[in-house]
This record gives sequence, structure tokens and C-alpha cells, in this order.
Amino acid sequence: MFLALKELQRAKVRFGLLIAAVALLVFLILFQQSLQNGLLTSFVGAIRNQSAEVLVYRTDGRRILQGSVISPDLEAMVRSSGAAAEVARIGQGTFTVTPGEGGDGVPIETSILGYEDPGLGAPTTLVEGRLPEGPGEAVASDADAELGFGVGDTVTVLPGGLDITVVGLARDVQLNVTPTLFVTYDTYVQSVRSRNPDAGEPLPNVLALRAPPDVPADRLVDQVNGLSDELDTLTRADAADKAPGVAQVRQSFQVIFLLYGFVVPLVTGLFFLIITFQKASALTLLRAIGAPARTLLTSLLVQVVVVLGGGLLLGIGLYAALVRGRIGGIPLRFETTAVLVWTALLVAGGLLSSLFSARRVMALDPYAATTGAGVGS
Amino acid sequence: MNVNGASVPALSLQRVRKVYAMGDSEVVALDDVDLEVAPGEIVALVGPSGSGKTTLCSIAGAILSPTSGRVVVAGTDISGFNPKQLTAVRRDLVGFVFQSVNLVPFLTARENLLVVDEIGKRTGAPARARADQLLGELGLADRAKNLPAQLSGGQRQRVAIGRALMNDPKLVLFDEPTSALDSKLGMAVMELIQQEMKARGTAAIVVTHDERITRFCDRSVHMDDGRITKS
Amino acid sequence: MKLALRELRRRPGRFGAAGLILTLIALLLMFLGGLLDGLIRSSTGAMYALDGDVVVYTASAEDSFLRSRIEPTLRSTVDGVDGVASSAGIGVVQLGARLADKGPRDLLDVVVFGPEAPPLGVDALPGDGEAIADTTLQEQGVQVGTELSVGPARSTLTVVGFVEDTQYLGQAALWTNPETWRTVLTDNRPDQQLGDGVFQALTVRVDDGAVAADVADAIDIATGRSTASLTVVAAAEGLPGVEQQTATFNQIIGVTVGIAVVVVALFFALLTVERASLYGVLKAVGARSGTLFGGLVLQAVVLSAVACVIAGSAAIALDAVIPPGSIPLRISGTRIGQSAVFLLVAAVIGCAFSLRRLLRVDPASAIGSGS
Repeated sequence: MFLALKELQRAKVRFGLLIAAVALLVFLILFQQSLQNGLLTSFVGAIRNQSAEVLVYRTDGRRILQGSVISPDLEAMVRSSGAAAEVARIGQGTFTVTPGEGGDGVPIETSILGYEDPGLGAPTTLVEGRLPEGPGEAVASDADAELGFGVGDTVTVLPGGLDITVVGLARDVQLNVTPTLFVTYDTYVQSVRSRNPDAGEPLPNVLALRAPPDVPADRLVDQVNGLSDELDTLTRADAADKAPGVAQVRQSFQVIFLLYGFVVPLVTGLFFLIITFQKASALTLLRAIGAPARTLLTSLLVQVVVVLGGGLLLGIGLYAALVRGRIGGIPLRFETTAVLVWTALLVAGGLLSSLFSARRVMALDPYAATTGAGVGS
Repeated sequence: MNVNGASVPALSLQRVRKVYAMGDSEVVALDDVDLEVAPGEIVALVGPSGSGKTTLCSIAGAILSPTSGRVVVAGTDISGFNPKQLTAVRRDLVGFVFQSVNLVPFLTARENLLVVDEIGKRTGAPARARADQLLGELGLADRAKNLPAQLSGGQRQRVAIGRALMNDPKLVLFDEPTSALDSKLGMAVMELIQQEMKARGTAAIVVTHDERITRFCDRSVHMDDGRITKS
Repeated sequence: MKLALRELRRRPGRFGAAGLILTLIALLLMFLGGLLDGLIRSSTGAMYALDGDVVVYTASAEDSFLRSRIEPTLRSTVDGVDGVASSAGIGVVQLGARLADKGPRDLLDVVVFGPEAPPLGVDALPGDGEAIADTTLQEQGVQVGTELSVGPARSTLTVVGFVEDTQYLGQAALWTNPETWRTVLTDNRPDQQLGDGVFQALTVRVDDGAVAADVADAIDIATGRSTASLTVVAAAEGLPGVEQQTATFNQIIGVTVGIAVVVVALFFALLTVERASLYGVLKAVGARSGTLFGGLVLQAVVLSAVACVIAGSAAIALDAVIPPGSIPLRISGTRIGQSAVFLLVAAVIGCAFSLRRLLRVDPASAIGSGS
């Protein structure tokens, strides 16, 4: 311990640089973890965090809510099949909306999602206020509260001028990286008509199903898919994960994480290997005057832990400080799980890579001190 | 560089003084030292640790500047030289053989000699010819391609001597050249030094603790407390 | 210099680990850059393929084809603007396409373009019911002669040729003539159908010597701001997500270069400490600090260059191995070169951290060092 800390004190710049490198890497990894989660959440959060367990798309909709349109005959087919205990409509559209007072007044693209039954399409992650109960009320995505979508704000759908008041906020319910409003199905129909008064009764985009008791969601999916090739039925999780682009984003980030995950242990391992080389004669001398190999090994491990710990603390601190807010419209959040997982992974990797140095320390021959030939020579 | 034939001394120190600041106090490492070394002369510099041998050697070898006094190497007054000029003097006029041999570990014997050319004039072919010639004279012709780790202690010391002679110096400084060798090998190396210096007419200063090796030198200079006590 | 190179050659093990780290960092840079290029290309390729200098949308469309509609009268106003050489109508519809031998729910994402002027890389527009397909569809088994059933109405399009790099928002383009597009749109999206002569947008060629951005402004003024005209580059960059992706990736690439600087600094600082006595000797025998630092920089540059060569090859291999359609990676010589330049600059900057220590090495340390 004494040796390890003394050396840290004497070689502040060297250890400082290493800690800085580890901290930067930790920061980047965690930041990108937030970015990936933020990206996915803001694309499909509204699907993942709504209450319907099974969703029926039109096959031609290619698993995009707005691209799917359920025709009356398909709806009738699903309802009459009796496969589901409950069937309800969900409608979704992109509208130009003037935000409420909190915003800057500039109209922005907004997703409006209407559901018939709160148990089949309402947001499940309410953090403030309540669900809409009547016409002209909405729950908004909390990430957009400060853009004029806070509780009490009244937003206006253009060009018709329909007013919708935000009565609640839900977490992680964005769709396609736009502010998102969950409304009753009637309010959704009014929104469509306010934009285009000639539009008749808009067709639902997807159907939300409740499985009968004892029927698992997977079986319901198979049953409904069996009705027609025109129907593309998915569980809630599949609807989110199999939306276009989601798998691509995941795979891309996985490769990036893999590469960064290798760099951290390598940098630490290399550093300590070089330091051990440099110190070979001093270490040999210590062995010669009776220091057991274990003491030297402990000293090495203490330093590795200090460096990794320092780098992690600094990197996590930097991450905590900078991850608030949003980047390119994507809300970022401090991911506690990611911090814990990466801390464990990086400490394990760092210690593992320092084994190379440990092996070298163990191999030191105290006799070499008497001949003046250190290990490094 | 001003080299006017054999009559010019290889080294001339006149009232050379070197003072180090140590916190608030001052340490006088060299105290008004006068010393002259003639061309081809081999001088043993003897004295206890801390007597000023190393400082004298460093000033003579253009590594340090004196606080006051005059230093003339092979006719060139280097007393007021800046670090850049001192570097050139070391490269062109002086050779060094260090106590701990200090060969570049990843270079062969021959390449260790050629380092001098690479960091200096870069003559190329002539330098290679000179390296081969020196290696031959030092009995290392068959060891030219060996790395230092593959050479014995005596052979390494001979490579170091060869490196010191590469730039055809007027003065070679030997810093305890035999301290890392056993006494028999030490004597053999000293014999070699004597032979090589005399054959070339090159002056040498040999710093040593060991009175036995003074017999290979033309005279001994004793130092104590920064002064020359016996010459 | 020779000394530095010899050390690299004789003691590769000493540089191996640092080289490996630099290789990984170079690979990261190339991969991140390639991913960005791939994402941007898959979003904007079709826009850059448009045969024109300016894209004209209606003002209320927020730069989106789907919400824009240009009536013939508006078009004639545009045609009359100074600097406009010619205009061509264009329409777009995003649909799912079925292939005979795929599963019933296994649709290809396509976007049917109906331009009056053929895209770059295509000599003439195909006949009615025919399409020239983006090459990414080949990976899905589409060949010349393949019949695609497009949209819920199952409109049939026969592929008669291929063109490269024409994806739009991640979907492969099918280039048809305007009449075919109009039929497909009417059959599959009756709510969005447009009258004869009405297009969603215009592509405009400007006169020789005219500046596209200026002509775009002139068009919007002439139409009383009922149009929003953008250069093709601005229109591509204005597509949803493009700007955000570019900014995000460039930040990540920037920090990664920063890491490379720190790694090189660390490694060569350690190496300098290790070589302190060697540098002392070399200085004592007359080496200049500049020569020694030059050697250090040379080593860093050579090490980084080797890392870049290996990483570049690995990136190309990765590009070949990754199944098409999974990761939108696009490895180009330009990107590899740019990453290499970043890393080499990082290497030189990293070395600079060792300069002070190297200057401080005292030649006097060579003398009396053992006593």
C-alpha cells in the first residue's frame, strides 16, 4: 500500500494522463449508451410504453403506425373472430401544432395518438397529472414539457385551430423523435377533421387487442395472423423492437461498444506493463531486501484499482454533468444500469489485463539485484 | 574549429571554477582549477567521491559550462559557448566512454558506432568504412553484428571505446572504464586504451578510484574538495 | 532517424500493445465515420441523384415531398424566374413491396419516385409499369425482370435496371416515369392522389453561371413565398435526422481523436522516461534534442500509419463481412484517409507532451551515473 501510493504521488502526470484516458473512454461509452437508449426511446417509446399488449398492423404498413391503415373489412374480421377478449382502435397522425405558453410559439411537428380504451393504448408511465378524460385533453411526453407541452399548456392543431390541453405527462412516450400527445379516440378524429374538414371518418391505423384470460399474448398473435396475410400482429415488445431502423441502431452501437470495451483494458494493461518494465530494477532490489512477491503484487493491484476507480469516477462524473438535456432532439438520461454494468465490465477487464504485469512481477529474480542485471535490461 | 597541429594542447583549463546553488547555500565543485593535457597524453584523474572529478570531466567534455575561468579544447575556447555550440563540440572534438557502458541495446556493435555519424555529419560510406576499421582494430570484426546483450563485458567496453573514437576526437574522456569489470579484464581494457590513444596521438583523461590503473597513464592528477592537490 | 526506425524494427514487442490500441482507435474512427456516411447515404442518396440544382416545395410542406403539391400555375411562375433553365416535376410515395418468393409479411421498404427527368446515372426513364431499382434491392433477391407487387393495391412494377446510391430515408428507390408513379399513388394512397399536371415538388436546373442558392431565393420571391426552394444539398441535409446524426457522430469522433492524443501522449511519455539514460548518453556524444524528438515523432507517425493500414484493411473486411441491410456501414477511401489524418495529427500532438521531458534530459547524467 505504502509503495503503491508513494509512487502515485511521485508520478502524478503519468498516472493523471492514464486516469484522464480511462475517464474519457468511460464517458464516451456511457454517453453513447444514453444516446442509443434515447434514440430508441424517442423513436418507439410511445409503442413500448402504452397499455395494449398486442397490436394489429396492416401488413403494408411495414410496422409503421402511420403507414398502417386497417380497413373496415379487416377490422370486422378481427372482431368477429373472437380471438381477443377486447378489440379497440388506435389512430395516429403527424400534425403541425402551435405549442403552449412554455414554448417559443413556433409551430412544431407533433404526433397525436388516439385510443378508444385506456386499457388498450393509454400511456403506462404517467409521471404527472392524469390521463385525458374528455375531449380536448392530452397526456404529453415529459421530455417535451418545456417546449410548451407542460401540464396546463394548451396547444393548437394547425390549420384548423383545434385546442388541446395537456392534463398529464408520461415518461418515454415519444414517437419518431417528435413531441407526442396521447388523446381519446374522439379527440384524434377531431384533430384529423380540423386539419382537413373534408375528411370523413378516418380509418384506425392499428387495432389494440386484449388476450382472453389464460391465453398468452404469443398465441393470440398467431391466431390473429392466421386470419389473413393482410394482418401483421405483434406483441408490444416486438412492435417496438421490429419497427424499421431499431435493429440497425442496436447493431451499430453494439459494434461501437465492443471496440471501446476492448480499448479500456488494453490501455490500462499496457500502461502497467510498461511501468513494471521501468521499475524492474527497483522491484528486483525490493525483492532482494526481502519484500515478498505478494507485497509487490498487492501494490500493483492497488494502483490498477486506483487508476480504474479514478477514471471511472471522473468519467461517470463527466457523464452525469453532461448527459442532462438533449442532443439533436433526443432526450438523454443518466442510465444507472449502464453505469453499473460498465463499471463491473471495465474493472474486470482492467484487472485481467494487469495480469500480464503481475506475471512479470512474480517472475522477478532477487538474485538479479546482486549481479546488476535487472529484468528490463 | 581551430586545430593548429600537434603543438596545441588537447585541453587547457585556466582558473576554472564551478559553483552549484543548493537552496540558499552554494557548493563549490571546482575551485580555480588549472590543467593542461598535451596531445596524445593520457592523464589519470584520481580522487574520492565528491572531489570534483565528474564535474571536471563534464566541463572538459563540453557537457557543463564553468561558472568562471577559461576552457580551451583543441585550440577552441568554449568557455562562453551556448548549449547548441557545446553540443557541436561534443560531436566533433570529444569522445566519451561511460562507466556503465551505455550502448544502445537494440543496435548491433557496428550500428552503435554508426550512431555517432547519424546524429552528426552523416557522411555515410566513409563512416561505415571507419566503423569497420575500428571494429577490426579493437578485435571485434567477428562481433560486428551482435547486439550488446550477446557481448561480454569486455567486448561491450571495447565497442564503447570504438564509439568514442568514431568522430576522430582530440580528447577522449573515460569515466571509470574498468569499474564494471573484474581486475584482469580491467587491466586488459586499460592496456587497449593506452595502445589505441598512443597509436592515434589522441589525448585522454581517465577518471578512476583505482590506483592500479594509473600505471597505464602518463601522469596522475589527484583531486580533493574541488581542487587539484597533486599533479 | 535511422535509430528510431531500427528500434521499431528490432523491438516490435515494445510497440505492439500501443500499436494494437492505436489500431483499435483507428478502427473505431473509421467505423464511426463509415456508419455516419452509411446513415447519411441511406437517407439522402436519392436526393443527390436528382437531376437538378434546386428543389422547390410548397411553403407549408416543411421541406417534405409528401406534404407538398405544386400546381401547374405555380410551376409556370417558377419557370419564368431569371436563372431557371428548366424545371421537372417529381412525386414520391413510400410503400411496401412484395416479392413472390418471400413470406406474406416480409415486405421490402421502397419509395417510388416519379420524376420527369431521369436521375443521375440513368439515361432515360423506364416505360409504363417499369422501374429502375436501387442496387440495395439486389441483396433482397431482386433482379432485372423481377416483378414487385407494390402497396396494398399490389400494383405491379417490373424491374428493368439498377442504379447505385439512391436510397431515401433508409428505403430503396424505385424510379418510374411520372405516369406510373401517379397510377401507383392513386391505387395505393387514394387520399393523397394528385390531379394531372400536379406534382409534389419541382427540381430546377439553373442557367450556366447562375448560383443555385440565389436562384432558389429568386423563386421564393417570385412566388410570393408560397414556395420553399432549397439547393439539392440543403434539401438533402434538411431531411429528418440528417443534421442530428452528423452532429452527434462528429462529436463522438472528436472525443475519440482526443482519446488517441492522450493514449499516444501517455505511451511516448512513458517511453521517454524509460529512455532517459539512453537519451543522456546520446546527448553526451553530441545528439541534438531536435534530432531525438524527431525520432520520437517519427516512431509515433510510423506506428499510427501502420495502425491505420491494419485498421483500414479491417474496416474494409468488416464492411464485406457485415450482412447487407444490418448495419448501414459505408467504408470509403476518403473516410479511411480522413481517419488516418486525424490519427497522425493526434500522434504528433501526443508526442509533444514528451518534448519538455526530452529537453530536460541532462547529458551530464551519462557521466558518473553509476557512482
